[in-house]
Amino acid sequence: MTEQLDMTRAPPVLDIDPFAVENLRDPYPFYAALRDTAPVVFIPAHNMYAVGRYEETRTVMTDYARFTSEGGIGLSDIRKPGAWRTPSPITEVDPPRHTPIRGALTKVLSPIVIRRWREVFTEEAERQAEALPKNVDLDAVRDIVQPYVLKVFPDVLGIDMPREYFLPLGEMNFNQLGPNNDLTKRSVADSASILEKYATYFDRSSMIPGGLGEQIYAAEDRGDFAPGTGGVQVRTFLRAGVDTTISGIGWALYYLATNPDEWAKVKADPSLAKNAFEEAIRLSGPASCIFRTTVADMEFSGLHLKGDTKVGCFLGAASRDGRQFPEPDAFRVERESAGIHMALGAGAHICIGQNIARLEAECILSALVRRIDRIELTGTPAVHPINTLRTLETLPLRLVAH
Amino acid sequence: MPKVTFINPDESRVELDVPVGTSLMRAATAHGIEGIVGDCGGGLTCATCHVLVIDDAFLAKSGEVSANEDQMLDFTAMGRMPNSRLSCQVVMSDDLDGIVVRIADPQL
Repeated sequence: MTEQLDMTRAPPVLDIDPFAVENLRDPYPFYAALRDTAPVVFIPAHNMYAVGRYEETRTVMTDYARFTSEGGIGLSDIRKPGAWRTPSPITEVDPPRHTPIRGALTKVLSPIVIRRWREVFTEEAERQAEALPKNVDLDAVRDIVQPYVLKVFPDVLGIDMPREYFLPLGEMNFNQLGPNNDLTKRSVADSASILEKYATYFDRSSMIPGGLGEQIYAAEDRGDFAPGTGGVQVRTFLRAGVDTTISGIGWALYYLATNPDEWAKVKADPSLAKNAFEEAIRLSGPASCIFRTTVADMEFSGLHLKGDTKVGCFLGAASRDGRQFPEPDAFRVERESAGIHMALGAGAHICIGQNIARLEAECILSALVRRIDRIELTGTPAVHPINTLRTLETLPLRLVAH
Repeated sequence: MPKVTFINPDESRVELDVPVGTSLMRAATAHGIEGIVGDCGGGLTCATCHVLVIDDAFLAKSGEVSANEDQMLDFTAMGRMPNSRLSCQVVMSDDLDGIVVRIADPQL
């Protein structure tokens, strides 16, 4: 097959390493080059294609007949010799096999269930927002976002893992979805001592009654999930729900601090808090790159793609594509972003926990906006370089209240 | 431009012109119809844009219910009815000109 391809129409080479630390700290020059070069580019350093324009990114994320998830949603192909991890029984399965599994998880995470958590989230958000020191220098990541998410989300899931385990494990997971570079190696080494105990926290016997984890095991017992996969479902859900939400709420505070006019709009109408979160994840989405694999040689956007090749979908590049969003780099809380931006993916695998994340964000942002006159940046925020997660390491700011 | 009529829970009616290709959910949120929430923006994860299609002829023309929509319709705040749809999945076309939908109550 390959010989017959007209290689003059192969995707052009973009010789940038998106996973180099400097490009993780500031991905925007890479994103611009990715969008400007072609609908699809080839990145030799990782033998992968990459997409960053809105239309192509959406298509690659959703068209499972041509771009499968079954090779894994990371850079390495989990079906190939040397694959070192088990496929996720939800994110790494294509429809139609995926449909009933997703349906079973939808039942556990249904809007009806999530609505019941509103009261719990609101109470915790109000309590933490009230206790925060006002008019002094804080690190919003360490002092506001992490304590809040690491309280409410494990409670929802009903697991009791030491809170200090979450962040190194998350860092490791999101590094491992990228290349096996120094970041991945270091985070694996850093988590080694935790990993031995890690699995026991997902045992059936460890589930706290009333949490979603218990429900997931109950679904397994009903035959909704394959026998023995309940624990992996719980783990997938935890992996996908902690670091991403911390990232999103962190960025929301960052953009509200750096856009005082937009903060003022939310202050005047707290129902805009949800939109602020949506705009923040559009501009700096948590998951920066999710992979699919080409199922065969194909023609795509006028280019010849080879089969069995990974395609990195750079969601943050797509969500700032000027072809789709006017003034793509501007933070506008009144913009209609939800369901249009790519931060939560698209199609059959679109983030299943997004309603929980939205609810968490809405509760803490509105608790803050009611108590605080404005947020002031007091130093330079730092990005935490992680291969496939875009999140803040520090966000120095002051909550100004009179 | 084809028209849709939304019937609010208080029985008041709102008629909107909707461009072909736009979902009824987007049309409603763009015009501030409060009964249509649409938190997830059409991603089939929130089930907060639930409507009942009044006329069976329009229901038949309103498009196939996908597996994901079918799953989500089981989790609407107001119970599912035979003519239930999520309005994010009903895309305006010339065939749907004149469609009337009742907004589910409650939506949240």
